[in-house]
Amino acid sequence: MSSKTVKPVMRSAAWRISLWATLAFACGTMLVFAFLHRFVADDIQRRSDAWLSGEVEVLGDVAERTPKDALYDRVVGEVAELAGKEVPNKLLSESSSNDSVFFLQAGGDGSRQLWVGAGDGEPTLKAIQAVKIVSDHPTDLHVQGFGVPFRVASIRLDDGSYIYLGLSERDELRVLRSLRLRFFLLWLLIVLFGFGIVFFTTRRMLSHVRKIAEAASRIGHSDLTARVPTTQKHDEVSNLALTLNHMLDRIENSMHQLHTITDSLAHDLRSPLTAIRGKLEMSLSAVMQVEQAEPIVSAIEELDRLTDFLNKSLDVAEAKADALRLNRVALDLDELLRIMIDLYEPSMSEKGLHIRLQSGGPLTIEADAALLHRMIANLFDNELKHLPPACSVTIRLSVEDDAASLILDDDGPGFDPEVCLHLFERRVKGRDSNGHGLGLAFIDAVARAHGGTVAASNRESGGARIIVALPLASNQGYQSPVPAI
Amino acid sequence: MRLLLVEDEPDIQNFLKSSLTEAGYQVDAAADGKTAERLVIDGQFDILIVDLGLPDQDGISLILKLRQLGVRAPMLILSARRSVDDRVRGLEQGGDDYLTKPFALAELLARLRNLIKRNSPPGAEAIRLRVLDLELDLLRREATRSGQLLQLTPQEFVLLEYLCRNAGRVVTRSMILDQVWGMRIQPDTNVVDVHIYRLRGKVDGPGQQPLIRTLRGVGYVLKDR
Repeated sequence: MSSKTVKPVMRSAAWRISLWATLAFACGTMLVFAFLHRFVADDIQRRSDAWLSGEVEVLGDVAERTPKDALYDRVVGEVAELAGKEVPNKLLSESSSNDSVFFLQAGGDGSRQLWVGAGDGEPTLKAIQAVKIVSDHPTDLHVQGFGVPFRVASIRLDDGSYIYLGLSERDELRVLRSLRLRFFLLWLLIVLFGFGIVFFTTRRMLSHVRKIAEAASRIGHSDLTARVPTTQKHDEVSNLALTLNHMLDRIENSMHQLHTITDSLAHDLRSPLTAIRGKLEMSLSAVMQVEQAEPIVSAIEELDRLTDFLNKSLDVAEAKADALRLNRVALDLDELLRIMIDLYEPSMSEKGLHIRLQSGGPLTIEADAALLHRMIANLFDNELKHLPPACSVTIRLSVEDDAASLILDDDGPGFDPEVCLHLFERRVKGRDSNGHGLGLAFIDAVARAHGGTVAASNRESGGARIIVALPLASNQGYQSPVPAI
Repeated sequence: MRLLLVEDEPDIQNFLKSSLTEAGYQVDAAADGKTAERLVIDGQFDILIVDLGLPDQDGISLILKLRQLGVRAPMLILSARRSVDDRVRGLEQGGDDYLTKPFALAELLARLRNLIKRNSPPGAEAIRLRVLDLELDLLRREATRSGQLLQLTPQEFVLLEYLCRNAGRVVTRSMILDQVWGMRIQPDTNVVDVHIYRLRGKVDGPGQQPLIRTLRGVGYVLKDR
């Protein structure tokens, strides 16, 4: 798996949830086990201590009763050896010699009188002498040469000698170690298994949320008729989907109403306009003298301006309501600007204006061609109408932050300060402007409909600057706002 | 040329009928889809003008129905919707054309001519265009007037070629923008006029008969007689 696919998983909410849940579970079980382990260890020790205490008393008894003759060593030694075979918690010993138990009888002066066990018992005696062993209470004893300590119980005989019975804690530790090992293996298995289950369950649940978010975002950007996916289950997630769909129904409904109103408004105005224009044109063709034609011609021109105003008002109104219908195609902005400059350059140079394009070559975006044509024509019309002679316009086209950036600079008088704040509102225009004040509002409307932005300001060095940013591809708009879940 | 006009607004129907008749078409008019279907079954038409906003049915479905009835003639779609929707664009690719209301009569006539020309069997493509003493070599992209070579930019040549192809007929500014620059915009400045003005300065030299005429409020015409 490449790092590209790993990263989103690690950053996903499912990953975090399962990580924390697993951590809590692992710590909890670990704590419980610690208590259990403690209990088991104590119990084992208690049992072996009880055995030791009992056995050492029996041995003391035997030692005292057995006459101190030549057979004493053999009798006591055999009894001790026999006792060693009944050791509690005993595991099968790998060696024949019993090294888990020792029996030691030491004189009051510290001399060794009897030894039963592995080796000669010297290190054990030394260790016993180094520590004070309290009788009747078993204690831990570390003997040189043995990895694990012995549990030693002692009893004082009447003749002043001591009997020590030692039981290696090896078997006890081995039992505990095997308990720990088994627990850890099982614990690891359960934790991993639990993590997997939590991760996949949350992931599955959240993938529904993610699908909903993606669909909602897609709907927000393009298609209002689409709906978010719903599931058959009646849980919170499917409720969310149903609520969203319900909301979308209502939005689509009002959007549909808006379309119907604007469409019928357009239709109701257009038909009489068409009829009037047709009649004017017919009467124009009947007129021969220029003087008589003049009022008809200007009436037609006024009518065309009215139509243009109607179109732009409706476009701006729809765009303000985010209801502008787009027909996106791949469009080379660089090529479009060159054609537009080619179209506008003669009019500009006629007025003494210069226009220049700085572009890094073809720059394709997905946009509605007709709307973008009109938007750029609007920008150029604005410059053409408002710039005094001998000014120049510079257009810079570049890519910035996944968006095509179009910067239009001029060295004219700039925007009227009193309208500067309301540039993109309808009907806002400069004092000397003879337009209908829809130009910039329309530009803003088109840019917003494409998921872009427009900013207008006065440059410090004088002149106006308009920055239009348009997303490179339409689908990029809805991929970024959805975080990984 | 038989033309079927499907338009429900009486005012528009009337003026279109008279203008089209004047332009040499033999016009039948229908005010709704049912009438249009009946007329199409009864007779053969060379071209149709269909308004999308009909009282009894949607214009698009009428067009589809007419196509099913075997109408092969090109159709010019009139739409009062301001943004022409995708379905119309689809039809346009099938050899039809659309025009939004309100429109210039000259433009309607020009688009009708284009449609008929596009749908007639292709003749030998001319490599030379000649209008009076103006001559265009379409291969070498050169124009001469009375034998004198005109210094035209490539764009000016395309513009002049378009005027020549429509010689004697009015072309509007939006037609020029559409056909020469490939965009349907309505600039509220004089961009097209300046192009024409410059072209006229090169084509109509001093002492020559002016070929490019301006019809105010309508458009331009290249005189062919």
